[in-house]
Amino acid sequence: MQELGDFKLPPFFNYPPYFTLQPVRDTREKQVQLWKDLILNYCKTQNIFVIGLEEDSPLFTNPVIERSVSHEAREAFLSALVSDGRAEWMDKGHRKCLILWHRIQDWADLILSFVKENGLEDSVMTVEEIRSGPESQGTELHGMDRTVLMRALKLLEHKGKLAIFKGTPADEEGVKFSL
Amino acid sequence: MRRRPGIGGLQTAAAARDQYRLLGENVAKLRTDLMKEQLVTFRSQLEEFARKHKNDIRKNPAFRSQFHEMCAKVGVDPLASNKGFWAELLGIGDFYYELGVQIVDICLVTRPHNGGLIKLEELCKLLGQRRKSAREAVSEDDCLRAISKLKVLGSGFEVISVGKSKLIRSVPTELNKDHNEILELAQSQGFVTVEEVQRRLSWSSGRATDALEILLDEGLAMIDDGHRDGRRRYWFPCVSSASSYVGADTL
Repeated sequence: MQELGDFKLPPFFNYPPYFTLQPVRDTREKQVQLWKDLILNYCKTQNIFVIGLEEDSPLFTNPVIERSVSHEAREAFLSALVSDGRAEWMDKGHRKCLILWHRIQDWADLILSFVKENGLEDSVMTVEEIRSGPESQGTELHGMDRTVLMRALKLLEHKGKLAIFKGTPADEEGVKFSL
Repeated sequence: MRRRPGIGGLQTAAAARDQYRLLGENVAKLRTDLMKEQLVTFRSQLEEFARKHKNDIRKNPAFRSQFHEMCAKVGVDPLASNKGFWAELLGIGDFYYELGVQIVDICLVTRPHNGGLIKLEELCKLLGQRRKSAREAVSEDDCLRAISKLKVLGSGFEVISVGKSKLIRSVPTELNKDHNEILELAQSQGFVTVEEVQRRLSWSSGRATDALEILLDEGLAMIDDGHRDGRRRYWFPCVSSASSYVGADTL
């Protein structure tokens, strides 16, 4: 079995026809399911949030069997994730895709438990601190995508769990938790 | 002997016929008795043998297969009934029913991948992985026996021969001779191309394409357009033992 860094690739990754989008419905459904699982798993372990369809990704290419997933097939796999609510297209041209291996709601829950564990119930933090500060070290929040983080924070704001405010300098947004 | 006329002659002839009949019946009875006696002896010998080698029969697949063969030769089917003497003595009836259930399960789980056709070796391997905890080893012969027992369910489990290997079919697909030949051809590399089918089997391109399209529709084949020679390859998960690529870990 091949490995990508510390990531263990699934066995189907070595079977050439899985790199061609299958024309027969039942076969394609199975194929798409396998790829969806692989994409989510890979992004989660590698902390990847955005997949660019035109970029060369080790995820879509297997040099050992000399196969690469076609653009059409990549779009089909990602579209399937989008309709599952596990991904979102970032542009109309479907060139970039945001992968939500945790849904926004799940990210929001992670933030809440992070806040509780660190006793930050009514503290103030900058968005950057949440992503890269020492408190989040070792949690899944560390190094997370800013877009996804903002979406999760806005969801929490909507629920009245925190307030987002513009800071100084202007790009340093901050959060006031109020649990 | 001169034929004697009159009633006396007729009576003598009738008496002689009776004598012959009696003698004949006696001989037949003697033979039947002898046969019965032999059968009883044989049966008790077979039972004794089975009792003595009970553990071997249960645990050793090769021995089990030979025992089955021996039973078949004398017309005893130890699997015929689950209540009979044989089942009670050996418990092998249950063994095959259990195998049957597991085989059905494996066929169902791998069906999305292989389209309902699986190599006997592959099935046996997956069965072995699943039964890791069970003490008894399972041979291909056992698989075939368990599958033959599945036939009573009318569920369409069937063993088909393709070239030298055997495949288990669990979907009611009718494979004709053309399909069989393609599967046989695909065994060496796991895939075929239209050109290869035309060349090796001397078919027209229409015949090759038609047969491949049907196999594709049945979910038995997958296309692969990724090779650098640009020729479409038709892969057959059922012969390339690709079930080990997919599904084995989900079993």
